[in-house]
Amino acid sequence: MPTRPRPRRYPARYSAFSLLRHGLAGDHLVPAWRDRELKNSYDVVIIGGGVHGLATAYYLAANHGITDVAVLDKGYVGSGGSGRNTAILRSNYLTPEGVRFYDRSVRLYERLAADLNYNVMFSQRGHLTLAHNDSSLRTMRWRAEVNKLEGVDSEVVGPAEIKKLVPYLDVSAAVRYPILGALYHPPGGIIRHDAVVWGYARGASGYGVHIHQNTEVTGIDVAGGPNGRRVRGVRTDRGDIAASTVINCTAGWSTLVAEMAGVRLPIQTFPLQAAVTEPVRPFLDAVVVSGSLHVYVSQTDRGELVFGASVDPFAGYSMRGSLEFVEGLAGHVLELMPSLAKVRLLRQWAGLCDMTPDFSPIMGRTPVDGFLVDVGWGTYGFKAGPVSGEAMADCVATGRTPDIIAPFGVERFAEGRLLGEKGAAAVGH
Amino acid sequence: MILLPCPWCGPRNVAEFGYVGEAGPRPDPASAGPEEWRGYLYGRANPCGWVAESWYHRMGCRRYISVERHTLSNEVRPLATEGAGR
Amino acid sequence: MSMRLGPQPGEVLDRTRPFTFTWNGREVPAYQGDTIASALAAAGVRVFSRSLKYHRPRGLLTASFHDPGCIVQVDDEPNVRGAHRLARPGMRVRSQNTWPSLNFDVKAINQLAGRFLSAGFYYKTFIRPRWLWPTYERVLRRFANGGEVPPEAAGDYYDKRYAHPEVLVAGGGPAGMAAALAAADAGASVLLVEEEHQLGGHLCWGDEADLAALRGLSERVAAAPGIEVLCDSAVLGRYEGNWIAVVQRTVPGVAERLVKVRAGTLVVASGLIERPYVFAGNDIPGVMLSTAVRRLINLYAVKPGERAVVLTGNGDGDAAVADLKRAGVTVAHIADARLGDDIVRAHGRGRLRSVELPDGRRVDCDLLVTATGWTAPAALLTMAGDRPVYDPRAARYFPDPARLPEDVLAAGGIAGDGSLDELLAHADAVGAEAARRATGAGDGPVPIPTLPVDAHPALFRGRTHGIVDFCEDVSSTDLVQAVEEGYRSVELVKRYTTVTMGPTQGKLEAVNAVAIVAEATGRSIGETGTTTWRPPYVPVTLGALAGRVFEPVRYSPMQPWHEAHGATPLVAGAWIRPDHYGDPHAEARTVRGDVGIIDVTPIGKLDLRGPDVPKLLNLLYVNKWSKLDVGRVRYGVMCADDGVVLDDGVTGHLGPDHYLMSTTSSGAATVWEWVENWLQTQHPDWQVHVTPLTTAYASMNVAGPRSRELLERVTEGVDLAGEAFPYMNVRTGRVCGVDDCVLWRIGFTGELSYELHIPAAYGLHVWETLMERGHDLGIAPFGVEAQRILRLEKGHLIVGQDTDGLTRGFSAGLDWAIKLDKDDFVGKPELAWQQEAGEYPRLVGLQPLDGSVVPEEACQIVDPPRRADRRPRIVGRVTSSRMSPILGRSICLAQVDAHLAAPGTQVTVRLPDGRHIPARVTDHLAHFDPTGDRLRV
Repeated sequence: MPTRPRPRRYPARYSAFSLLRHGLAGDHLVPAWRDRELKNSYDVVIIGGGVHGLATAYYLAANHGITDVAVLDKGYVGSGGSGRNTAILRSNYLTPEGVRFYDRSVRLYERLAADLNYNVMFSQRGHLTLAHNDSSLRTMRWRAEVNKLEGVDSEVVGPAEIKKLVPYLDVSAAVRYPILGALYHPPGGIIRHDAVVWGYARGASGYGVHIHQNTEVTGIDVAGGPNGRRVRGVRTDRGDIAASTVINCTAGWSTLVAEMAGVRLPIQTFPLQAAVTEPVRPFLDAVVVSGSLHVYVSQTDRGELVFGASVDPFAGYSMRGSLEFVEGLAGHVLELMPSLAKVRLLRQWAGLCDMTPDFSPIMGRTPVDGFLVDVGWGTYGFKAGPVSGEAMADCVATGRTPDIIAPFGVERFAEGRLLGEKGAAAVGH
Repeated sequence: MILLPCPWCGPRNVAEFGYVGEAGPRPDPASAGPEEWRGYLYGRANPCGWVAESWYHRMGCRRYISVERHTLSNEVRPLATEGAGR
Repeated sequence: MSMRLGPQPGEVLDRTRPFTFTWNGREVPAYQGDTIASALAAAGVRVFSRSLKYHRPRGLLTASFHDPGCIVQVDDEPNVRGAHRLARPGMRVRSQNTWPSLNFDVKAINQLAGRFLSAGFYYKTFIRPRWLWPTYERVLRRFANGGEVPPEAAGDYYDKRYAHPEVLVAGGGPAGMAAALAAADAGASVLLVEEEHQLGGHLCWGDEADLAALRGLSERVAAAPGIEVLCDSAVLGRYEGNWIAVVQRTVPGVAERLVKVRAGTLVVASGLIERPYVFAGNDIPGVMLSTAVRRLINLYAVKPGERAVVLTGNGDGDAAVADLKRAGVTVAHIADARLGDDIVRAHGRGRLRSVELPDGRRVDCDLLVTATGWTAPAALLTMAGDRPVYDPRAARYFPDPARLPEDVLAAGGIAGDGSLDELLAHADAVGAEAARRATGAGDGPVPIPTLPVDAHPALFRGRTHGIVDFCEDVSSTDLVQAVEEGYRSVELVKRYTTVTMGPTQGKLEAVNAVAIVAEATGRSIGETGTTTWRPPYVPVTLGALAGRVFEPVRYSPMQPWHEAHGATPLVAGAWIRPDHYGDPHAEARTVRGDVGIIDVTPIGKLDLRGPDVPKLLNLLYVNKWSKLDVGRVRYGVMCADDGVVLDDGVTGHLGPDHYLMSTTSSGAATVWEWVENWLQTQHPDWQVHVTPLTTAYASMNVAGPRSRELLERVTEGVDLAGEAFPYMNVRTGRVCGVDDCVLWRIGFTGELSYELHIPAAYGLHVWETLMERGHDLGIAPFGVEAQRILRLEKGHLIVGQDTDGLTRGFSAGLDWAIKLDKDDFVGKPELAWQQEAGEYPRLVGLQPLDGSVVPEEACQIVDPPRRADRRPRIVGRVTSSRMSPILGRSICLAQVDAHLAAPGTQVTVRLPDGRHIPARVTDHLAHFDPTGDRLRV
């Protein structure tokens, strides 16, 4: 790896001391990132200003010194899946490939605040996946065994220990879905998702990366020849941009963007809904997931309970949300923690998830030379932000597909080599 | 909650149906190569717009029906031919 | 000091019914009709809570449901809206977020730090050292706002209801009442939903004329036959297809009821919400909105203060002045914003002391009333697709009728201004049109008059900075800083500062926030846009959303017997079935030695009739079915078109064109839909009729060497002799006096056994009879656990356990069954390619060399590393394992990589504790009786 270039003086360093100085002097604040003129050419154009796109830009600059990079977003940074997920991080996947990949991500997240000089509030409060029947308990053990072999802290625990970790859970046998055990994953936890986006944006901008918000890609220029197709740039609603490398880092619209380059992806887009309650005094430390009940619960430092579930029952691009979702969600939450009946749901929202047939992403090169994808993130994209950015940056800088994402190539579908993550990811939060 | 026009039962809550998804023909197993076959297994047009798709009226007549749905607005309209296509 | 006034013309109190409740342990008097907040205010309480970040004292602001200042804990219920919830005798009300007490609050030290607790404070601090963050975080969590959740459930009752009105009117103010009346007059059924405890909206706290108008409307609504009124109820959201959620809080015995409404037309008559003004000190207790003052005086007979300053920009402010004077409050100063008057800041700590005017004067007062304009609560309209448009002349947003779907209309103040008569006339037309659109009756569209729009001074932030979001303690300085730091989109400002993200969800603060961001970015309010309104419109309890718990379970007809005989239940999907009756090993030994009986009712059963059933079976199963004679049974495996094993079971040929298919218990529903799918969509010309019989039959398996002897005692019309009714055959006949029973001679357990499918109503009778008649043969029931042991001894796979979501047919030990010479079957191409490729994982039998060790299911089989610093490579996994009572050793099934599949291969199993143990691949999947002699006796 080449030596890290020094970031410039801008942006200003954050510390309690700098805040104190600002508080006393009342001087103007330095923007976290700069608005730049849109150039008509960049070395690398990244479509999608979420955590994947911004992390890719950041690592291109920080790890490889590639700074002639533009990140384009049709809305504001983090307006897609990065700002709509439930901010749960974990690495207790089922396949060795998945475990290795997400473990790298968790490790990058652990040092992200220091790397970015931006507190992303990663709170490793522990992550519990409940098993309500013997077959899911078997899957938990399977995950635990694979995790341990890959060096990830993960263990199956029984009801007594679960009750100790989460006193509000009903672990009695006299319920419809008794809790037989759980996969306990101490390094898992929650993070401030927006802060991750802003931290990467600030870091990338500090290295000279251009971040263009409200810039929608309307087309991708591809030159065709006898030796194959090659990307030449993108068209946007603010003008054309030439680029020899274009990376599709979108979620929700990834097939539509890939189609612009003539690349067909085996992805179907589903809404995923989530909800948050009014704040109540903190009582829940660990993240609690129940696959059988299709629900996961965590409590933020502000006291809100954040709920998520599996994707909606049918595909589409609608982000309006449904009543049936919150009805089902509330029922399932109360199955687990009956005493929450009087807690009020404050807000529901939806994001879009690009589901692949094997619940694993599609990363790396495509049949169009210079057009790369980092897509198909289903319900697990946020967890993978840092490692994806790091690996995609490697891929661009070295021209080789890094080992850690080699299993995720798009060709695996035509070759019938699907990955086995489905069992762990169905409600994998 | 959207309503689906079941040709047998009339408009019904979508919660009564199982989602099958985009309609696409099954290739001839005798002649299909891996690429074509896996395109059938895994490929989806996934449009942001109108799509012809199948639903199973699980809590009603238990027929597989086809409708057109706009995947952004969730407007639904009947498909001209019923029962065909998977 | 009592602030209670004498009787007011419009008061909602029943002074004949006084009572008390407690506030932080202190007794407080109240009348029936008082809210918690009005009773406390009448008792002289001015501070109700502390603010989120700076722990500043907070009093009443809006005196309505949305009041952020008086959210309280009532008994075990957190976050109760004190200005809405009616006081009840004996209720224990406590303030929230006030440690150690409401009046002395050490967290108020934060106020001193306020200059540094700026927007994004947390993102910029506590970064290093990393290991200290968890400690910081624990402190942060102490400061989290909100009430306490009890650890044990209170057991309140929640309910749901469906309603199908032709017109739903959201909002029971004058416009909503008029719209409901007009719709009902036009023949529509109407549901009228009002958030307050009574209909009338702002008329309730109005003058004599308003009260007279209210009486007239109320009488007409009460008399109208087609109107159902829900008060103290809120419309939570409008979803696709005019599917509308309403929470109703007034059903006796029900904590909250969720009403799910499929409405023909929705009329949004939500009125307007008064907007606070942003200036320094705007959150000091004693600073109130004009509507708060008018509600306190007119509804609750509470004197809001002694000496008031009023900032008014509209008629409601003027009306508040009149009310104050009537209530005996000294109005020390009126600043009329229409004339360019303003106020600069409020002074005081804990209570208002004075107000500073632009000319530098300070007016002493304990009450500052602001009437600075309105926010249109457009939530329901935006959920229907509306994008409200900002009108600078009126300084507020209006709906854009062009964006509204046909089935949504707006009436009343949200649509425009005007006199009461003008608003009523408009609502009358809207109601009639709503009825027409819902019912289709009438002669063409009803013309809807256009409401006037009054000019209003643009009052958002004054000359100083103050609180914008009272729930989140976000100030206008925070918003300006966020913009300075580059968070220029209003959505980014929202996320960075958390403005509009608290319990009021923007209803009070969103427009101010947009206006301040617009000012800071140099854009207009229109260009700046708004934040998104998301459901629910008001927070709703999880209890109401969940309703009663409907989690159905399924039991077999023999369940009473199982319960009476000490069965330990096993939850298997929807089914609850016996796992064992005390000693699964003994149960397994009974089956091997004598005869056992197991309840297998959950097994999926499909009755297939028609001439084309063989074609169907040939298509769906990987094996061949053309030559299955009547009376024969065959085991079959289904794969999906990706070659992955989907289900297995046996199918019997009962008679001409008549088959009975069985599926796994968990696959019963899936396979039925699978069969229907192939028939309906691929082969609609095939003549096959499918009937699910899973619960029409009670199913039981009588297994063991003495099973024939037992059945001979109770069976009529079937020759059970080995040669007459051999293995893998089916017969129908009479069992224990019950006709039309199906008997399958099959052997999942590996023993001579008969699976009986008994008409369900007779299941318990047959079971009890068999138990009785088999007593001398040593019969005992066995449960799922014993069956799992027996089938594992026999090496029979369980789909979903010994296979997973990627296991194709050849990896499930099914080489013998897969017939690639068939023209077609589901999954054939993939299976052909799998076989061609060859290097696929195999299902094998496995035995640890040390037979006393049972590796847990899901243990990994590893290739131990040659170097200590390398991790072991995973080369397989144990899919099933048990201690075999008959063999006295541990036995397993496992998926292993191809190169390890040869019988005799030694592999390494990693136990959960990290130990590695050697195990050997066995010759057969079956560990016991591999030749199947016991089945065929």
